[in-house]
Amino acid sequence: MIDKAAISSPGTHYGDPKAATRLFRLQRLTGALNIGFLAFFAWLVLNLAGADRASMLALFHNPVVAILCGLLLVSAGLHMRIGMLEVIEDYVATPARNHLAVLINDIVAYGAIILGLLALLKLLIWG
Amino acid sequence: MAELTLPKNSRIRPGKIWPRPTAGRLTEFRVYRYDPDSGETPRLDTYFVDRDDCGPMILDGLLWIKNKVDPTLTLRRSCREGICGSCSMNIGGANTLACTKGMDDYTGAISVYPLPHMPVIKDLVPDLSTFYEQHRSIEPWLKTVSPMPEKERLQTRDDREKLDGLYECILCACCSTSCPSYWWNGEKYLGPAVLLQAYRWLIDSRDEAAEERLDNLEDPFKLYRCHTIMNCAKVCPKGLNPAKAIAEIKQMMAKREFA
Repeated sequence: MIDKAAISSPGTHYGDPKAATRLFRLQRLTGALNIGFLAFFAWLVLNLAGADRASMLALFHNPVVAILCGLLLVSAGLHMRIGMLEVIEDYVATPARNHLAVLINDIVAYGAIILGLLALLKLLIWG
Repeated sequence: MAELTLPKNSRIRPGKIWPRPTAGRLTEFRVYRYDPDSGETPRLDTYFVDRDDCGPMILDGLLWIKNKVDPTLTLRRSCREGICGSCSMNIGGANTLACTKGMDDYTGAISVYPLPHMPVIKDLVPDLSTFYEQHRSIEPWLKTVSPMPEKERLQTRDDREKLDGLYECILCACCSTSCPSYWWNGEKYLGPAVLLQAYRWLIDSRDEAAEERLDNLEDPFKLYRCHTIMNCAKVCPKGLNPAKAIAEIKQMMAKREFA
């Protein structure tokens, strides 16, 4: 329970104010970017449907495709992290569980981004 | 905090079925009854209202029940014309004002509950003290630093028009108590009604404390729990759009980072 004096005080904060707005802006930015990335991803899948490995590698060696794939991984991963963070903040109120859930979310989201980028690098460098 | 099942003392049991009048045009009311002093769980009582003997609104029906059938039924009401916001309750599954909602708007039995997810003082009377403390927190009054003018503080017609759709809010809490985010985080999240009021002062051309107001609102819980669910705009009995006001505040927050 939060006491009434804290609730009625204008200066009460329940988290980092600046981080809240930064997250909001990043969520909107990645959300908008992901619309474009979705179109690119659909194009990529259609292009690679039925293609052999050599054709796939050739496509990924195109710098535009490689850069867009990297950006897609980062944008989608960050958006996923923010989305799940919102769910955790909404529904997991117990501090210990909240911290654990946030930590797992960060590990999964950043892990997915890093692994995805490493896989892309592997394709580009070692084929 | 999220509660996906009701605690035992909140589970509603079937209540009393009050005598059905033998004549008249009858409408069935199923009304939530709860008296914390009794130690009993809430119940749903059934009443039959004689439409030929009372006015057309839900509030008329409830007052008819209170006056002629069961004087223990407890509810708030005052103006009976949609101005005071006292008789806000959940009718037929949606929050609204009992005084402006007609019985003819419903077919079959009409269910009447208190505003959702609020502590109940008795029957249809919720405890709105947290809601009022939150309203106090946004400092809903004109804040200025410039010297007091000789007469009133003037405003252009265009600036005055910006307050339309905001000043009409009667703080009935229909919107806030229909918002799932407010259900889960009702103490930290300010909710649609209070944020609409906050925006009303933020865009008032006479107010000179916008930065301070934005500083106070900038918080992951106070403002950013709004997920644009839009229940607030759907249920507002005055036809206002709190979700739009919240979106405007978020936009102001995002823009001032670059200012």
